Amino acid sequence: MNFLVAVFSQTWRSLAETWRSQLLSLMTITLSVLIFTFFYLVYSNALQVGNRLDNDLRLIVYLDEQPNETLQEEYRHKVEKFDKVERIEFISKLEAYEHFKGQLDDSQDVLKDIPKDFLPPSIEIYPRRTLDSLAKIKDFSAYLEKLPGVLKVQYGREWVERFNAFVRLLRVVVLLSGSLLILTTTFMIGHSIRLTVFSRKKELELLRLVGASNSYIRTPFFLEGALLGLLGSIAGMTALYILFRWIQAVFASRASSMFTFSFFDAQTVCLIIVLSVLLCAGGSFVSIRKILSV
Amino acid sequence: MSGEEKRLTMIDLARVSKTFPPDVHALADVSLRIRRGEMIFLTGQSGAGKTTLLRLLSGIDRPDKGYIEIAGHDLSRIADAEMQRLRRRIGVAYQDFKLLPDKTVAQNIAFSMEVSYRSRQFIRAQTERLLTELHLLDKHDTLAGRLSRGEQQRVSIARAVANEPELLLADEPTGNLDAETAVLVMQLFRRCNEQGVTLLIATHDQAIYDFPGSKIIRIENGRLAIQKPPTAVRKAEARA
Repeated sequence: MNFLVAVFSQTWRSLAETWRSQLLSLMTITLSVLIFTFFYLVYSNALQVGNRLDNDLRLIVYLDEQPNETLQEEYRHKVEKFDKVERIEFISKLEAYEHFKGQLDDSQDVLKDIPKDFLPPSIEIYPRRTLDSLAKIKDFSAYLEKLPGVLKVQYGREWVERFNAFVRLLRVVVLLSGSLLILTTTFMIGHSIRLTVFSRKKELELLRLVGASNSYIRTPFFLEGALLGLLGSIAGMTALYILFRWIQAVFASRASSMFTFSFFDAQTVCLIIVLSVLLCAGGSFVSIRKILSV
Repeated sequence: MSGEEKRLTMIDLARVSKTFPPDVHALADVSLRIRRGEMIFLTGQSGAGKTTLLRLLSGIDRPDKGYIEIAGHDLSRIADAEMQRLRRRIGVAYQDFKLLPDKTVAQNIAFSMEVSYRSRQFIRAQTERLLTELHLLDKHDTLAGRLSRGEQQRVSIARAVANEPELLLADEPTGNLDAETAVLVMQLFRRCNEQGVTLLIATHDQAIYDFPGSKIIRIENGRLAIQKPPTAVRKAEARA
């Protein structure tokens, strides 16, 4: 019998004897994973909504005069000095007129007597669709307003601010639920290990007397912790998926096309499971070293 | 001690003392050398210090003073991992059996072999052989907690012997056995001894320590009193 076979059969025997007390730990881990992944899913979907904002998230800088090429280059340089942007477009008076005309559709005749240069030239700045850039958009706007020749800066100020506040709140909730996951998981694993050690006290004492190595004693606990992490995270992710499908089914018709929610990709699911396993195995490893000094 | 002598020595104790609070001198200045392959009976009244000596030899307790060497390992300086390996080479039949009541007889015996990573076939064969030899084969799957004291004692002995130890320490191994079963246990011990196992048996059962080639060590109030062959002890005891 080699080491692995011996510790696996030890683990199996221990689980068969203590599965009732382990159930509570399993449920707690499942719940912690569910809470954390739920908020993380909402957060990552919110980020995706930010990415889909596209044209709504542009800053329009109205200028008093049509800039020549040198001035355009200067504006471009000053904009990029503040923050990297996705693209910058210069809109001439004529282009603005054509754009406006296109928007009027059937009512274009209202423009019949109006000169084609009545609209001011502008710069359309598309910021990078990252949260950092979005968070800075207010400061960005203030900066642009101070540039020479700028009449006004326009952007979906209220919407962006609300969105930023929401994302900031989500970030805090994700961090809190992540900390909760770590705390509850390590606490429950520690508690579970303590119960198992207590129920197997005589056996562990005997193992030392017959010369069991430290790794022979602690590896089954380590494996139990890892198994709890694996089962707990799989159960938690399954529960989240069921919840996600239910939300999709109930709210699909009501939500606008902009808010199409998506589940985690396979890579993220695997990462969450692996992290849970590592967390639980690590928790049990630390606990057993502390309790048994092995 | 020369290198050759050291190689032939299994147990070496020099001026070992052990006191338990408040003021119980369990062992005082005990010096003793046991060669490999010897079979020694440690006799003496209850409380004389026999169990304390076995606990020191199996590394459960540490002496207050003195030096203990087992199979060339100085127990005062031995590293944890080395002590674990040494314990796998020592079989101990405890006076209180130290069985796991909620495990079967077979599982209890398998314990000492599993920690040495013995193969499943070896564990199965060895368990069945020992249970047959000790007339316990029908108890193979019985929970140890449901056995009589005598049966539990035999299971404890089987576990001590199962891993083919180099040194076997037995504390009152026939204390709960009838004469017929005690003979079975002694036959098992003798066979182990013939295979080269060193045995130290603490007992006050006179009936078991009288056979040729064995030595008796008498311990009184924590001190070694006599170290003679059994017939000489018997004669001395008869004269007393």
